[in-house]
Amino acid sequence: MLNPEPTAEARQVARAAARWLVRVESGELTEQERARLQRWREASVAHEHAWHRVQALRGRFEALPPAVAMATLGRPDVGRRQLLKCLLGLAVAAPAGWLATRELPLAAWQSDLSTGTGERRRVTLADGSVLHLNTATAIDIDHSRRRLTLLRGEMSLRLATPQPFLIHTAHGLSALRGGEMAVRQDDAGCAFSMFAGTADLQPLRYSALTLGAGQRVRVSDQGIGPITMFDTRQPGWREGVLVALDQPLGDVLRDLDRYRPGVLRWAPELEALRVTGTFMLDDPDRVLTILAATLPLEVHWRTRYWATLAPRKKIA
Amino acid sequence: MIDRADSNAQAFHQLYQVNRTWLEQWLSRRLGSRHEAADLSQDTFMRVLSSAQPIADLKEPRAYLLTIGKRLLVNFYKRRSLEQAYLDTLAQLPEVHAPSPEHRWQVLETLYALDELLDGLPWRVRQAFLLSQLEGLRYGEIAARLDVTERSVKRYMAQAYAHCLLAELC
Repeated sequence: MLNPEPTAEARQVARAAARWLVRVESGELTEQERARLQRWREASVAHEHAWHRVQALRGRFEALPPAVAMATLGRPDVGRRQLLKCLLGLAVAAPAGWLATRELPLAAWQSDLSTGTGERRRVTLADGSVLHLNTATAIDIDHSRRRLTLLRGEMSLRLATPQPFLIHTAHGLSALRGGEMAVRQDDAGCAFSMFAGTADLQPLRYSALTLGAGQRVRVSDQGIGPITMFDTRQPGWREGVLVALDQPLGDVLRDLDRYRPGVLRWAPELEALRVTGTFMLDDPDRVLTILAATLPLEVHWRTRYWATLAPRKKIA
Repeated sequence: MIDRADSNAQAFHQLYQVNRTWLEQWLSRRLGSRHEAADLSQDTFMRVLSSAQPIADLKEPRAYLLTIGKRLLVNFYKRRSLEQAYLDTLAQLPEVHAPSPEHRWQVLETLYALDELLDGLPWRVRQAFLLSQLEGLRYGEIAARLDVTERSVKRYMAQAYAHCLLAELC
């Protein structure tokens, strides 16, 4: 219902990328094979993309303390399956990725550049271009070939020179030709927003398009959304603020959740309450307090990390 | 469009009104905690609300709620089992190495995401993959450790890499 099965083609590409990486890692790759790998990568955007992603996998494990990770991730499987079965009395076949967005957090600590939850970073590249990383973001960057891979999170790049710069994402490739672009990757899709200049966009499974200043488009597994206009002057995460203009509370909370380590939940009745305001991203817990002061809701703190929002009880 | 969204909101409201207490009680019996049941029930309804399924078309709303609720429950237990394994490991560390609560949370979230990513891989494949990724062992060393041929290790590794790529795609 939530996650469509990968297509036969996607499976084939994933298997091929995996086999190539195993060949490389085994140290047995011949010169001929190296050339074949290069040809395979160049044969399609999807191949090149899968190759980037399969290599990026290693980074997701590297930063963990090995002994701790081995003991937890390698814990006996049998025990945990049996535990589940006896607790639930049902066969366990949880589809991967069911708990999509919420539980896929920062991971690639060992990528070239990354931020933790609630952290933001500004980096000036050698040619003077400026890169901003938003919360829980990881990217790999190849300066000499002028390209980067957004592994997760949100970033923006302002080019100092008109030389193109390639941005890889899980949903497509963008060639920025001067100006400034923000890219946000989440589990469901990828949003590209042009602040200035133009960029060519090559979504993985759909046809190419060009984005101009003030235009935004979202690409997901379901397709390409409409190109919408946005106000490039409105302050946002790069200025450390979250601006809500008569928005549903649910949308604001989902956004705020990205900046807050921990669990944030709210009662469905609160989803549609309207919110207007400018909130500082540096202190998300304070934003919750402000919301509780201005809307008919209250915050229950289950633990230091775990906040639940509920409708305020009426005083009899 | 607006009419449809409105009628869906109305159907949701009704679904919530009629079934909330029932679902909370069902979850509470399995969790043994009212607070956690309330949270999981909220999660269940939020998932219904954010899914593409038109609520008015549901023939068996309770069966539908239970399907989602059960999966959330499975995930809850998986998370708890991982957390327990993590805490057990930490308990064996000397005090000075104990990470801060903030860091602990980050490690735990990362572990959980990776646990999900590897979910469904056969035990040996998972072991081979972890030895390669976490301990940096070469294929030959992994083969010796698991007492299998290097050829098998290569097959395991290819399977694990493809699995992760496809899981991330979902």
